[in-house]
Amino acid sequence: MNSKSLRFLISTCIIWLCSTSAFSACDFDTDDADSPDFVDKIIECDESKNKPSRPVLNRVLGKAEYKNTTRLYGDGTKDPASGIFERPVVAPGSMNHSPNKMFASRQAFSLRPNAKFEQSVTLAIQRLYIEMAHYCAKGWSIEDQWSEPDPAQEGDYFLHYRYTCAG
Amino acid sequence: MNKLILAAAIASTMGFNSHGFAAGPIDGTIYGKVNVSVVNADNGTTDTWKLNSNASRLGVKGKTEIADGLYAVYKAEFEMCVDDGDCKGQTFTQRNIMGGIKGSFGTVWAGKHDSPTKLAQNKIDLFNDLEGDIKNTFEGENRVSNIVAYSSPKMNGFSTTVAMIPGEGTDIDGDGQDDTGLTDGISYSLSYSQGNLYIAVAGDQDVDNQDLMRIVAQYNIDALKLGVMYQQNEDNLGTKDESGFFVSAAYKLDKKTTLKAQYGSIEDDADGDEEQTMSLGADYKLAKGTKLYVFYTDHTDSSVGEADKEDTAFGLGMEHKF
Repeated sequence: MNSKSLRFLISTCIIWLCSTSAFSACDFDTDDADSPDFVDKIIECDESKNKPSRPVLNRVLGKAEYKNTTRLYGDGTKDPASGIFERPVVAPGSMNHSPNKMFASRQAFSLRPNAKFEQSVTLAIQRLYIEMAHYCAKGWSIEDQWSEPDPAQEGDYFLHYRYTCAG
Repeated sequence: MNKLILAAAIASTMGFNSHGFAAGPIDGTIYGKVNVSVVNADNGTTDTWKLNSNASRLGVKGKTEIADGLYAVYKAEFEMCVDDGDCKGQTFTQRNIMGGIKGSFGTVWAGKHDSPTKLAQNKIDLFNDLEGDIKNTFEGENRVSNIVAYSSPKMNGFSTTVAMIPGEGTDIDGDGQDDTGLTDGISYSLSYSQGNLYIAVAGDQDVDNQDLMRIVAQYNIDALKLGVMYQQNEDNLGTKDESGFFVSAAYKLDKKTTLKAQYGSIEDDADGDEEQTMSLGADYKLAKGTKLYVFYTDHTDSSVGEADKEDTAFGLGMEHKF
């Protein structure tokens, strides 16, 4: 290995050691570095990297509650109607009930001026109620609700509900 | 020793003390990918098995907030040759390296980097870095030294990037004169993206001895991703006057499997020569960032008055991004 390569390796190791979270949960894809909006990807990814992964949820819940809450967050499936990446809406009529079990669900909505109707907060609430009915068919209590911005798109948010199935 | 203390100690001895002046945290993230394939390449006379590294790379990127809403951004990416460790005689070779300032006005950046025209292609090339790479058929896929660029913020889906490339005393336009100006070469792109649609118009003037214009469109319909490109280019010596098109399609069969196909054809009006490229393949996702893939590529070069030259390749590979 020549001296230039050695210096490069030392430098990259130093930056890795200095970095706060080199391998965080950030969704930066390696090929994003060659995309037309690569600068935006660097900024957005680093900002999401610096945030706690569940900031509001962590604040709202104690450690034990956080551990006991089943989070029904999406797996990145794209909603073809809204264009928002989110888990599919649970089909009405598909019912379950887990007494006293706590869940956290979220749905995406948009406040952008050009947002489609399917991205409205009204439909997000509707979808959350369908989801709550699916997991707590015999009733539920909403413990908390909050919204977080979607780092991928300015003006888009996630509405979260935390709820407990009736005992 | 705590790794941060160790890092600080090493950095201070090597002059990495600038973070003391920054308003925001110094962020640095290592990223990269290893992409290796076993390929059988047949050029019509010789049939060769080989292991390819396919632009495997290691990079560092990050940003520092230097004032409210004002960021210093950087990226330094190097190719590593996983197959034999020899990247043009070096262990690493330079890929995109840039530094810039981003604010509400947009981003001003500079370095050695893919031109706006190349960036505007936006990965409609589904066999990028493999034998079917669009750069093997079409001009305009340039990584340019000494590039100084401005990228606008996105406004109602529109954004633009304009770059100037000083010749630094080389004959960049082939007119026999050394070029010493700031805008000896120019590359630009104007793009619109909204939802599933992406459209871009891009062009070069005196970049890699070419004047070039391309139009790119990409559209996603559920599991299907379509791409199309039309391009015209001519070289500065007047010996090449090409026009051609490129189409690609990727269909996601399920969460793990994606089928891919692409075809491109370009014809030179100056001498009647024609090139065609066709690739078929499939990706199988093993995990987030990790996939196996297979591909077949056929590249035909037709020169007037000569027999067609056909190169084919098929291979099996693995890509792991980190």
